[in-house]
Amino acid sequence: MAVQTFLFASLIIFSSIESNHGATEVSLFTNLENSLEVTAKPTRVGVVWEAGKDIVRITWMLKSSAKVNDDAAFKTVEVKLCYAPISQVDRPWRKTHNELSRDRSCPHKIVSKPYDKIPQSLNWTVDRETPTGTYFIRAYGTDVNGYEVAYGQSSDAEKTTNLFSVEGISGRHTSLDIASICFSVFSFGSLLVFLVKEKRKAKLQQRK
Amino acid sequence: MASNEEGSIGTSMHGVTAREQVYSFSVDASSQTLQSDDPTAKFALPVDSEHRAKVFKPLSFAKPHMRAFHLGWISFFTCFISTFAAAPLVPIIRDNLDLTKTDVGNAGVASVSGAIFSRLAMGAVCDLLGARYGTAFSLMLTAPTVFSMSFATGPVGCLAVRFMIGFCLATFVSCQYWTSVMFNGKIIALVNGCAGGWGDMGGGVTQLLMPMVFQVIRLAGATPFMAWRIAFFIPGFLQVVVGVLVLTLGQDLPDGNLSTLQKNGQVSKDKFSKVFWFAVKNYRTWILFVLYGFSMGIELTINNVISGYFFDRFNLKLQTAGIVAASFGMANFFARPFGGYASDLAARLFGMRGRLWILWIFQTVGALFCIWLGRASSLPIAILAMMLFSVGTQAACGALFGVAPFVSRRSLGLISGLTGAGGNFGSGLTQLLFFSTSRFSTADGLSLMGAMAVLCTVPVAFIHFPQWGSMFLRPSSDGERSKEEYYYSSEWTEEEKRQGLHEGSIKFAENSRSERSRKVALADFPTPETGTPTHV
Repeated sequence: MAVQTFLFASLIIFSSIESNHGATEVSLFTNLENSLEVTAKPTRVGVVWEAGKDIVRITWMLKSSAKVNDDAAFKTVEVKLCYAPISQVDRPWRKTHNELSRDRSCPHKIVSKPYDKIPQSLNWTVDRETPTGTYFIRAYGTDVNGYEVAYGQSSDAEKTTNLFSVEGISGRHTSLDIASICFSVFSFGSLLVFLVKEKRKAKLQQRK
Repeated sequence: MASNEEGSIGTSMHGVTAREQVYSFSVDASSQTLQSDDPTAKFALPVDSEHRAKVFKPLSFAKPHMRAFHLGWISFFTCFISTFAAAPLVPIIRDNLDLTKTDVGNAGVASVSGAIFSRLAMGAVCDLLGARYGTAFSLMLTAPTVFSMSFATGPVGCLAVRFMIGFCLATFVSCQYWTSVMFNGKIIALVNGCAGGWGDMGGGVTQLLMPMVFQVIRLAGATPFMAWRIAFFIPGFLQVVVGVLVLTLGQDLPDGNLSTLQKNGQVSKDKFSKVFWFAVKNYRTWILFVLYGFSMGIELTINNVISGYFFDRFNLKLQTAGIVAASFGMANFFARPFGGYASDLAARLFGMRGRLWILWIFQTVGALFCIWLGRASSLPIAILAMMLFSVGTQAACGALFGVAPFVSRRSLGLISGLTGAGGNFGSGLTQLLFFSTSRFSTADGLSLMGAMAVLCTVPVAFIHFPQWGSMFLRPSSDGERSKEEYYYSSEWTEEEKRQGLHEGSIKFAENSRSERSRKVALADFPTPETGTPTHV
């Protein structure tokens, strides 16, 4: 009963903490200016990238078409790996949401750098923990308080061009497979040993 | 069978002393189990004529009764951990194996479907080979499937492995069977409720255990996609350890192991076809099948979907959603035994009719709270509704297994198996109808599932025992049919009765007189405690 009460109490506490989040300003994607230009150039072209192996050269800069003081509010640039629509089909946990705090489509952070007025670039090795899927790259310009004010992406507005596929690691390993087989054999084996032993004991008792 | 009629010579002496072997008629000397003068003296707990314990001491490990209880519920607990081990790790697994919502939903259905067949088979195995082997087979033959999660590479592999792991839920049947042969009918609902409830808790514990194990393995340096595979070795290893304990420490029946007793002629070997036929012919089996499908069934479904529901609808963090999911399962610790206790209490006052009413009340109230859970749009209300729902539904599970042991004596194992299978069938059905498509939001799915459960609980009104009555009808007034012996010996053919194969059922019938309501029991039959016959 004590465990029950403790769990219930912690639930109430957690829920009240959760409901206080986002009480102030709400960042909407539609309010952002598309004033950054982002390009992603792989070292290997035309193949599926392997997580943990392939390298991409990412560059971002203010668009030439942007107005003069568009970048006045930028403090940092956050570059993120985002799911293309095809990787979001039947996967509501990757849903795009206009409210940026609830948006789940760009969960993988690549880098966060302070904004410099000159074009910046990065040689990024695709993270080993990146799951299999189709992606594009997006950069958010954030202000002093951490709220997004502008963005740019390597794909077009409908997210149909310049997409790239990543093959995630399988997570399997020979040592795991061997351990799995060994434990299984042990399980079967001990059951068999017991059965045989008991049959023998019962036969002996019957003969008595 | 002249000695069965009231007033005939010898009946008034039945149950006069607590230590006599009470049979309705004389039995063959060769089938007596007496090795010493008083066979009940070698048991640590007081026992009845079938050597089933009359008292429940949860803190004891005494051989054979309490030991069987603890081994039974721990086996079942371990299997629940294995079956639902994937649920809290789904966010990692779905990224590793590139699963869609449909894949995840189908794997959830698969994880409970396998047990439909294995629970049926387990009923027969228990009747024919004993509860010990049944439990050990279930644990040690499915442990390899838990280890083989390390081989899964896509949705098909994941589904296949979860389907095979689900087979181990058959331990539910062997656990309930084991306690039913070890404990007397007066306390059986409480004992079954504790065993079932503490086992079901595994579904809650796994939601906390697996993420914890996963974290530790990650801290040790593994990538997430490898860490979750390693984490599965823990439940697998637990299964093997508990299986070995069951084989070395357990005992099938109060008097010994089944094979030994069968060879000595103390327990007769039964034919599977007969056991099966009498279970299937009894309409009460099928009503229990449906009822359990909408108490345990919806509980299993909730184990698979509730974490995701709170994560998505109320935007909780994964750990918080896990705590919520765990709370639902952990309520089993007291809710299911409470249901069993309430059933036993109702039986003491109103007999079997009380048990049936309690079952209907708990299950309907639980289902109503499930409807409320789906409608709740604020987090505190949702949590409150979920907790009340969990208590109602889990108490109903406990109350149902206060009724099940009395439906049949000959086919006890198979009926436990069929009822258990009904639970999994209900879970697969509700997951398929309400949670695998985008037709309903999860919230609507919950409410619809609750409504369906209210409807499917109504059949309990149709369970009628001629000797004890039903929810709305009195027991039969016919002299012969109103006897427990008539009901339980009707499962045996005349030929078998002549061979004396039905002695166990007669003993059971004597002990089941406790299911008469107090009014009826006092009116026309002397109780053993008073020892004063109404007529000499």
